[in-house]
Amino acid sequence: MNRVMTNKNNISSIPVVAASYLGPSLMPNLDAAWDESKLPLSPDDLVLKIMGQPLRRAGRFIKLVCCGALACLKNVPAEDLKDKKIGIFLATGLGNVDEILPFITQVFKHEGGFPSPNQFANSVSNAAAFFLAKVSEIKGVVLTVSQEELSFESSLWLAQSYLESGEIDLALVGGCDVFTPTVADYRERMDLKPDNHRFMPMGEGSSWLLIGKTSGKKIGNILAIRLDHNKKTERSSNENILSENEMIANTLIGMHSKQKILLPGFRLTDTDHLFFTGKGWKVEDYLPHCGIHPTATAYGLARALLCCPSAFLVHCNYYATGRRALVAAVTE
Amino acid sequence: MTQSHIDIRGWGAVTTLGWSARESAKNLLTGKVLAGDFCTSSHLINRELKAYEISYAGNPLEKAWAMIDSALTEAFSQAKLTAAEIAESCLLVGTTGGLFIRNEYEFTEIVRQNPGKESPPIACRNRGPGEVADAIAGKYGINGMIMTFSMACVSSSHALVVASQLLEQEKIRRAIVVGFEPLLNLTLQGFASLLLYDDEQCRPFCANRSGMQIGEASAAVILERNDLFVKDENNTELDSKGYRGVEEGATQAYMTIRRGAADVANKDSRMKTTRYRFAGGYLFNDNNSLTSAGVDGELAGNVIGHTLTAAEISPAEIVAIKAHGTGTRDNDLSEGRGLTRVFGDNLPPVVSLKGAIGHTLGAAGAVETALWLSCLEEGMLPKSFGFTQIDPDLGFAPSQVNIPAKDGAYLFTFFGFGGTCTSYIVIKE
Repeated sequence: MNRVMTNKNNISSIPVVAASYLGPSLMPNLDAAWDESKLPLSPDDLVLKIMGQPLRRAGRFIKLVCCGALACLKNVPAEDLKDKKIGIFLATGLGNVDEILPFITQVFKHEGGFPSPNQFANSVSNAAAFFLAKVSEIKGVVLTVSQEELSFESSLWLAQSYLESGEIDLALVGGCDVFTPTVADYRERMDLKPDNHRFMPMGEGSSWLLIGKTSGKKIGNILAIRLDHNKKTERSSNENILSENEMIANTLIGMHSKQKILLPGFRLTDTDHLFFTGKGWKVEDYLPHCGIHPTATAYGLARALLCCPSAFLVHCNYYATGRRALVAAVTE
Repeated sequence: MTQSHIDIRGWGAVTTLGWSARESAKNLLTGKVLAGDFCTSSHLINRELKAYEISYAGNPLEKAWAMIDSALTEAFSQAKLTAAEIAESCLLVGTTGGLFIRNEYEFTEIVRQNPGKESPPIACRNRGPGEVADAIAGKYGINGMIMTFSMACVSSSHALVVASQLLEQEKIRRAIVVGFEPLLNLTLQGFASLLLYDDEQCRPFCANRSGMQIGEASAAVILERNDLFVKDENNTELDSKGYRGVEEGATQAYMTIRRGAADVANKDSRMKTTRYRFAGGYLFNDNNSLTSAGVDGELAGNVIGHTLTAAEISPAEIVAIKAHGTGTRDNDLSEGRGLTRVFGDNLPPVVSLKGAIGHTLGAAGAVETALWLSCLEEGMLPKSFGFTQIDPDLGFAPSQVNIPAKDGAYLFTFFGFGGTCTSYIVIKE
């Protein structure tokens, strides 16, 4: 069993109740300009705008997690969330490096430093999920999942499992990674080499989906999440991706009239837009808006769910070591 | 008692007590336990913090990999997993530090090789918590889903519970759950900065306790659905090596061949009579406090109560409790009072393993489960180390003698940073 599908029949549909995307410009749900050399930007104005008060004791990672997730929840009427069991699934590839680095720098400081206990507390891997649970008043299933650049897809798959089990009614699933101060370190940490990614600036983001049972409005459906192992030699040729996407489209939406859109993850190096256009697919490259970061998939999916009406979406991404993730969705 | 669908097919561990779960259990049961001590590893810069350090001749990065490999090798061997079964398995890893040790080791090596020069700032080059799972999957050819839980002290206990839930849902057929934490300056200094470190000794549930002590360890626990087995002509489950991974859609001829081979294996399996089932897994996150589960014990009691209810097990059926028992005031009060709320005056034997192996943080779930299972295999439950005096706020003493490990239900509890709670039951039969 080297392939994990959405369920035993490989087909499932989870309503997407709301979505929100936040990139390096720190302007929620907007494609605003940004410059890698000026990153990271201070999130304090955003915190005030979304949360109404500063989060003085938290670092950027925690702030972005909370702002991104709350921006998503704010799109849903409060009565639609009342008495619902909501689970939080926070995906991050690199975690809260903005808290870890200053702490460990103090620990290793020449002739001794004074590491801050507050910084250590915030550097613990699940501190951000705790803060989010607290500000959103969610208890129960709160998970921090990490699997490099497939962290978000893994979280989405896990969230879907929890929804199917009935343990939760709604899942708040998001991906957050923050800009690492040194671009060289950032690229090394993501194992970016000339032949294994599309050339783009490094970015960051906190993008979220609220999925699950709803009696209210929805913006789309997640149709399938596929995570499997793929030999590197079978990777990302345009023909292979098209063939797979067509198969998924035929299985999941049949003859329904939808604009078919491919969302290429940053590991797809040579996506030929003309080739796909000629076959009836639009290629939506979201990376210029968010830059490369491990959970960029969350940004791409959330943005497409909000901005591409009446569309069939397939997000395709690969692990550097050969694993593959496909997420298929439709919008209203 | 509920009918669990999940067997524990194998396990392995490396602790300060030994380079296998079996060796660790034997040393634990015979009292060959050393208290936490000052550390000697080249990457650790503070020599005044006592911890449970695994002896190793090579460098700390090599040791980290040796720990992982040793635990997995023991688990695969005990489970008699074939290469095909390993390949089709899913891998869930629980770790907080991941391979952060690489940053610390490389930095200290640079400093060591440049005596007298001012230290450069430390660089962060590890690839995040998921790096461990990716490396394990690559090395052992695991092609199933891989996923890492990075949730402080409940990382691998949460991973075990999530694995059990995915197995119950038939989302996966088999899970290899790994817990891994090497000693890091990051965590040693971090807990010291929070004033949660006991400078003398790790003393869970003891009136004289003043904090935790960290230990390093790795472990692997293999969970598998027990109702997907091939059955023979008499509808008897063939529960031995290699006959639990029959692919969906296998042909009748293939099944026949497997059954023929399984007859031989089934005879082997009769030699081993003990079976371990995983039941009642429950995870819960509270949002009241980042660092405490609430010293009134209400939260801990609720989590334990929910676990028992889910497993359809009454408190009276619990043979013994493998408690989290860190030795910090908040943990011991919240957990101890939670246990008292559930069990009242009929508290079964309570054992914390942290007085013997330290707090292995994100690895604790897998490590303590593996070590406990090996003790069950030895037929005895260990005493709780580090205890001398009853805390009047708790009113009970953890188990102070080794006791026979009867068949029945064993309760496991874990509580961690960020309001995280895990609890589950292992049934020996």
